Amino acid sequence: MHGLSKSFGRVQAVSDLSFTVEPGSVTGFLGPNGAGKTTTLRMLLGLMQPDSGTATFDGAPYTTLTAPLRTVGAVLETAFHPARSGRNHLRVYCRAAGFPLSRADEVLAQVGLADAGNRRAGGYSLGMRQRLALATALLGDPAVLVLDEPANGLDPEGIQWLRGFLRHLAHDLGRTVLVSSHLLSEVEQTVDRVVIVGAGRLVREGSMDQLRSGADGAGTVLVRSPEAARFADLLRADGTGVTSQDGVLTVTGTTPAEVGRRAFAAGIELHELRSRTSGLEAIYFQLTGGSEQFAAPSPVAQEATR
Amino acid sequence: MIRLVRSEWTKLFTTRVWLGLLLGGCVMVGGFAALLTGFAGNAESGLPPVGTPEFEQVALAQATNATVLFLILGIIGMTQEYRHRTATPTFLTVPRRWKVVVAKLIAYSVAAVPFALVMLAVNVLVVTVYAGARGAAPSLTGDNLEVLATSGLALVIYALIGVGIGALLRNQVGAIVGGLVYLFVVEPVIRSIPATSGAYKWMPGGGLEAMTATFQGPDLLGAWEGGLLLVGYGLLAALLGTLLAVRRDVV
Ligand SMILES: Nc1ncnc2c1ncn2[C@@H]1O[C@H](COP(=O)(O)OP(=O)(O)OP(=O)(O)O)[C@@H](O)[C@H]1O
Ligand SMILES: [Mg+2]
Repeated sequence: MHGLSKSFGRVQAVSDLSFTVEPGSVTGFLGPNGAGKTTTLRMLLGLMQPDSGTATFDGAPYTTLTAPLRTVGAVLETAFHPARSGRNHLRVYCRAAGFPLSRADEVLAQVGLADAGNRRAGGYSLGMRQRLALATALLGDPAVLVLDEPANGLDPEGIQWLRGFLRHLAHDLGRTVLVSSHLLSEVEQTVDRVVIVGAGRLVREGSMDQLRSGADGAGTVLVRSPEAARFADLLRADGTGVTSQDGVLTVTGTTPAEVGRRAFAAGIELHELRSRTSGLEAIYFQLTGGSEQFAAPSPVAQEATR
Repeated sequence: MIRLVRSEWTKLFTTRVWLGLLLGGCVMVGGFAALLTGFAGNAESGLPPVGTPEFEQVALAQATNATVLFLILGIIGMTQEYRHRTATPTFLTVPRRWKVVVAKLIAYSVAAVPFALVMLAVNVLVVTVYAGARGAAPSLTGDNLEVLATSGLALVIYALIGVGIGALLRNQVGAIVGGLVYLFVVEPVIRSIPATSGAYKWMPGGGLEAMTATFQGPDLLGAWEGGLLLVGYGLLAALLGTLLAVRRDVV
């Protein structure tokens, strides 16, 4: 993707966005609501015309690919005719792309919908719709997979399965996977690289390891102790941020390991020690903070204005 | 291209829309044919009596009442992609979008042929049985046969026009309502007002009437010119629709 821009009227959805996605890895495409993820993916797939810039697969724009479904599989939304069965939905695209109709049954089995294939797609649950959409993307056994929020509506088991499936595709089969999400925690365990956008601009691009290393010490730690007051004073003494409530301390800008070390050194008894937001999440908020277009006022602030 | 056409047929026959329209068409054509035969020769209705060539030609042209359903068939065929948002997977499969519109034009024109034959069969059956009971069943020769052929052709052309309109308007309800209002309100008004009735022969309804020439009416084109005019309207709508479909963002 190079220098991609797109505006809708006065809304600048994507501005001068450039990044690359590497084969054999899962890349997370992250950003808050309205950051321009879906718009970027639609331009990548030739469904929207960018105002400027180009998006290519191995140098070729999507619309010039000779066998698009074999090259790229994409899930942008769960779209199907409600009165058509899942199997027939897949058969339509088998026909159009020249695949044998048996591919429909193969991908249904692959996403765990084999039993529901003959039911009307309109009667599917949200998770089943996501699976059917994924099955559509898998029809051509593509080298590149582009997924827009595929975990939406999946149950914990489904999310677990999806993670394993995407890692398998990328690491064992060498496929390229680009998966968007607005939650870092959702893809944290799956992705190798991240591309973070905020308000249509690139905020950060790099490997998870790079992101993690920058995240050291940036988290919030929760501590419960019978000697909370003493420990709080001790931590405050060297400028560490601490707030205290009912014997529970919230320590910012540090790691559980560091807090534990301090408590041990001072001989303070701890009943609970855990990280409330991982450093990674804090980094993510920090990176996308302020770029949130649709940030809702916090309930506390709303209360105050009444 | 044949792959895409077959894909369109799969789409058409994996929902029940086609069945509903087909049955609706049978009822409509059968009903009109029966009514017409029933009132034939009745002084108040002004219809020619059973047994005259005029009656036979009007009676055997009743399949054209189903044109509106063929129009809707074509409109639904195109607009369902936008209504159910399947335009996304469809255009992902076929990024050169004009091919999708062309495949639909071919698929629906061809699929409309057997549908039209069913309409004609119902028409002939009802008229033959009912008029036969009232004295004289029409023979299926000469002018009568020509009326049937042009009626069937008109039905097929209306399915084509439907696809074109669907590509142009994209909104299913809007396209169908717009089509109905045009056919049943706008054109009859234009036809009946002397000042504008001269233009009527150049309009789709005028083309249709020219093809299936009945015994009365305003100044019309010849049958074949009327047919070509109709095909022209269908292709024009499809061409504009394709140009728009290629340019417009799919959201
Ligand atoms: N068709 C459209 N017409 C007008 N504005 C649009 C359209 N599509 C997107 N936008 C605007 O562009 C911006 C980016 O939207 P986009 O859907 O790409 O965000 P996103 O990152 O996918 O968000 P989410 O996480 O909520 O899915 C938003 O401000 C949105 O309102
Ligand atoms: Mg989105």
